[in-house]
Amino acid sequence: MKHPNPNHWRGLEEWEDPTSVREQAETEFIDTPLRIGAEPGRRDFLKATGFLVAASSFTACSRPPEEKALPPVVQLEGDVPGKSYRYATVCGACPSACGIVAKVRDGRPIKLEGNPAHPLTHGGLCATGQASILSLYDSHRAQLPRAAGKESSWDEADARIAEALAAARQGSGAVRVLSPTITSPTLLRQIAAFVGGFANGKHIVADPVSASAILDAHERTHGVRRLPHYQFGKAEVVASFDADFLGSWIATTEFTRGYTESRLADQAPRKAAWHTQVEARYTVSGGKADERVKVAPWEVAAALEHLVAKLASLGGKAFVPGSTAPAAEAMAALDRLAQRLWNARGKSLVLYGANEIAGQQLANFANELLGNYGSTLDLSLPSLQRQGSDRDLAQLLGEIAEGKVAALFVLGMNPVADLPLNEAARKALERIPMLVSLAPREDETAAIAKLHCPDSDPIESWGDAEPVAGLVSVQQPLIQQIGKARSAIESFAKWAGKPASAYELVQTHWRESIYPRFAAAVPFETFWHKALHDGFAEVKPNLAAAGAFSTTAIAPLEKKAAATAMLQLYVKPGMLDGALAYNPWLQELPDPVTKATWDNYASISPAKAKELGVKNGDIVRVGVGETTRELPALVQAGQHDALVAVALGYGRKISARFQDFGPKWIDHRATTGANGLVGINAAPFLAFEANTVSYLRPGVTISATGKRQALAVTQTHHTLSVPENLDPGGPPRPIVQEVYLSEPEKFPATDPEDVPELWPPDHPYPGHRWGMAIDLDACTGCSACVVACQIENNVPVVGKDEVMRKREMHWIRIDRYYSGDVENPSAAHQPMLCQHCENAPCETVCPVLATVHSSEGLSQQVYNRCIGTRYCANNCPYKVRRFNWFNYPREDKLANLLLNPDVTVRSRGVMEKCSFCIQRIQEAKIGAKQEGRELKDGDVVTACQQSCPANAIVFGDMNNPESKVSKWVKNPRRYRVLEEINVRPSVHYLKIVKRSGEKPGEEHHG
Amino acid sequence: MSHRIISLLLGVGIVMSLLLMAGRFGGARVPANQQGYEPVQPIAYSHRLHAGELQIDCQYCHVAASTSRHAGIPSGSICMNCHKQVKATFGVVRQEDEAATAEKRPRRDVVSPELRKLFTDLGLDPSKDLKDQQVTQTVAWTRVHRLPDYVYFDHRAHVNAGVSCQTCHGPVETMERMRQHASLSMGWCVNCHRDATKNGINGKRVNASIDCSVCHY
Repeated sequence: MKHPNPNHWRGLEEWEDPTSVREQAETEFIDTPLRIGAEPGRRDFLKATGFLVAASSFTACSRPPEEKALPPVVQLEGDVPGKSYRYATVCGACPSACGIVAKVRDGRPIKLEGNPAHPLTHGGLCATGQASILSLYDSHRAQLPRAAGKESSWDEADARIAEALAAARQGSGAVRVLSPTITSPTLLRQIAAFVGGFANGKHIVADPVSASAILDAHERTHGVRRLPHYQFGKAEVVASFDADFLGSWIATTEFTRGYTESRLADQAPRKAAWHTQVEARYTVSGGKADERVKVAPWEVAAALEHLVAKLASLGGKAFVPGSTAPAAEAMAALDRLAQRLWNARGKSLVLYGANEIAGQQLANFANELLGNYGSTLDLSLPSLQRQGSDRDLAQLLGEIAEGKVAALFVLGMNPVADLPLNEAARKALERIPMLVSLAPREDETAAIAKLHCPDSDPIESWGDAEPVAGLVSVQQPLIQQIGKARSAIESFAKWAGKPASAYELVQTHWRESIYPRFAAAVPFETFWHKALHDGFAEVKPNLAAAGAFSTTAIAPLEKKAAATAMLQLYVKPGMLDGALAYNPWLQELPDPVTKATWDNYASISPAKAKELGVKNGDIVRVGVGETTRELPALVQAGQHDALVAVALGYGRKISARFQDFGPKWIDHRATTGANGLVGINAAPFLAFEANTVSYLRPGVTISATGKRQALAVTQTHHTLSVPENLDPGGPPRPIVQEVYLSEPEKFPATDPEDVPELWPPDHPYPGHRWGMAIDLDACTGCSACVVACQIENNVPVVGKDEVMRKREMHWIRIDRYYSGDVENPSAAHQPMLCQHCENAPCETVCPVLATVHSSEGLSQQVYNRCIGTRYCANNCPYKVRRFNWFNYPREDKLANLLLNPDVTVRSRGVMEKCSFCIQRIQEAKIGAKQEGRELKDGDVVTACQQSCPANAIVFGDMNNPESKVSKWVKNPRRYRVLEEINVRPSVHYLKIVKRSGEKPGEEHHG
Repeated sequence: MSHRIISLLLGVGIVMSLLLMAGRFGGARVPANQQGYEPVQPIAYSHRLHAGELQIDCQYCHVAASTSRHAGIPSGSICMNCHKQVKATFGVVRQEDEAATAEKRPRRDVVSPELRKLFTDLGLDPSKDLKDQQVTQTVAWTRVHRLPDYVYFDHRAHVNAGVSCQTCHGPVETMERMRQHASLSMGWCVNCHRDATKNGINGKRVNASIDCSVCHY
């Protein structure tokens, strides 16, 4: 059947009315700050002329101001001014504790990158990790202890704590430390020593995004409370039940790397990789899956149980499921999935995302039946990236409510905002005689704490990490401390009565406890320096072996009545639990799935939206029991009708700073919502169920309110479709292309190189010829590249209002296209950046030659020549040019220290775009020259390429036939976007590999 | 009617201001051209003395010229490598020596007024032994050579290609006070790049690109 809709579409808007987006494309560049429709009159002419005369005479008069040049006080050996140095350390943004390399220039860390040598992540770093460098230069960071809202000193704070602790020792009051997972062995030791000093002292570990049930389930099935180390690189078949391992689940950077590695489609013989995602919400992993089984939210656990039953029967064991079977279609999919898993025994993975012990046990049972323990799940070298226990947390909250806690130290957590505390619980928390918050900036908990003793930033203090048993890393300071915060390691040592510097404490712990676990016989200093240099060391684990699988704990699920609708609370990739809600980069990063920025929202299915009569941005009232919140709705394709999904991590006090964010001008609208914050905090919807925090809540009600709060969604911005007036009713363009595994072993090549050419071949590329290739099959849309590029190239953040005007400045964006069934589509992610076309349409229209072609194939943008006509942006078929409508905020002197000194900060009225990281090309070229050698492949690594956890981007010299990019370009999957207009881009894409289904006939494309 | 008067006035105004501006450009110099700029420095440091008379290599002080984008202005600790010993010119020291011998008294420590400024600026006490003291401050020199923010010049590329310092900075070894020798304008850069690609540098073939992105990014 001929379908009227394109094969790939950008959003529901385009699916429902394909011409709407194309009509919008017509006016994309007519948007100006001046009122549309008003003819420029005489007054405007006079104003403009007067301004011109005044401005030109002023600039003609001025001499550049006198400038001082301050040399360093002492020239350190090996520290050359203007040169960048790279130091290995540990990322502190989340408990994944990825190995990173920090780029330090003139004593200032200016960029974090993944450590290519690190055995877990191999060089990738997620958006959150990249963006976390801003916390170092955050001028809102707490610099001194505060007592009851007033600035205090460390001596005073320590004295007050000593007093309170002495009182606690006298009485029988409990002393508690509450933290999320801590991977630092030294910090754990300090906390243990501290709480060990009290008769009733305890360290409670609870994660704001809990994986407690996985650990509890392993305690029951294997006798050890551990999180297995998932080895996606070894897993050929992945069955995920609502575990968004490519988006936000546990250690996504590492998982993404393993996942793409196990799915490489170009190897011979082809790997039989397969990924089924069973879910109700539409996740990053769901969009990427080979098969996405959409079930009702309460059916996810049932689906898992029925899969277990099928696997048990394949394994000759009996298991009778207790839950009601999901719909027949889902059952058929589960049948196929069970067979695939069974065929890949020992090379498969069954994952369950919900924080619910009974279901997790079933997932363990499935993996046990498949013989995956010891191969794709490692329990002997477990992951230490989630250690939280919801049971301990519940117990602590009970103790607090009963008034038994004399002192509570909160580290790395914000219980007031993270946890579902009712009024009584909050009052009880305030009543604790000594509530100490170690938050780096004043958050909701610090505001009610008796003392706020800020922890220092990971980039300015010593520390360490053991993310996976046996893999240890040192975290080294890369700058002298900014401000007077104190590292938690030092604080706890001080409060335990044994003050020492963090450096001493870390080194002592390594000498005493980690060095003895090292196998090779080298002196400690050698071991320490090597670990410091490499960023990690592999030592023997110090854990007991896990027990054998015990089936006694395995029980069928209870039969539950089908709910009518459920609320799912989830975390967005990038924003995660909200600890980085102060970070404008992450706030403006489009969500990989919804493409929404600057807000959280109630995500509902198209059918539900129709039923409620709401569209994107209409405020709905969401309620579970007594708790109700009003927030804008967002219509999400592929989501189950019975699900409402709301992201956690929003509505944070630390986002109040964005109140006046964005350029100040007459039409400016606020970035924050009615509450003065970005988004709504959804944590009150969470609840404790059977000693675990439940993220899936039954009995949700949702109703329209008639109010509106527009959402800044970039979904349909910068469309590549033909404007409707240019080609009325024309066919859609094949922007995203796919190959099918069912096609012959060698993918058919499409290489239309010999097309007639209007331009004379007068552009030889005698030296280098820079080019890029992007594997769309590997790209998961995680958006690490977007933030990496933003930091590397000083790309401004513009604020919600400007995003709504399609003026986001990201040089690389990720276009997300849906394809297939609108009820259950699959997603394709296409990183889109300047294509550096050989026949660049932008270059021919610039009246001042501000964008010209280089002899190495770059489309250069010369800021100082640009006069801002925007002709080039109008003529760019890829819509990758960005115009500086304003001088974007650069008032924060401290944050400005983070600017890359190798890239110009563009001013108002100037066009900009991806430069292929020309500063890195220049650096590599001059570096090679300095060493007296030729540039070799791999010397130039662009920021986006460096950050990619999926290894989806390669960059290099296409004149060198041996370069990686040349090889990728020879891949039969290669194509170029909009090949038909023959602008000859230097960016090549590798087609997506569809592992399911047959290549559709031509009519499906049209 | 009034429209015509306004247009006329405006036209006259524009022509007048253009004429005024043309007068300002008398020496056919673009407004930002700083050629010949020779600001007074906080300390009367002499390149003629150090680089000319004493023949100290440029890179002894400007350490990073061959390894970094910036040649670097020397830190106080580099000055103090010599000036821990040398506190006044040779003539003044000999005068004091002779005077001391004539008056039969111990030789007094003489510190030249400019070096006294240097020591104070570096946080040192010239009345005490300089060998025991640490540099704690730095001198606020007035910057002479300054390129606009959108230009990226890399010393490394030029020094390693064999371009002499004097090519751009002029006869520094004869300058009592540092002066901007060249115009540092884009035309000046590009001409040299073209010339170097055509004729090579000291007989060595080089590829001095004239792509915009070599300097502008």
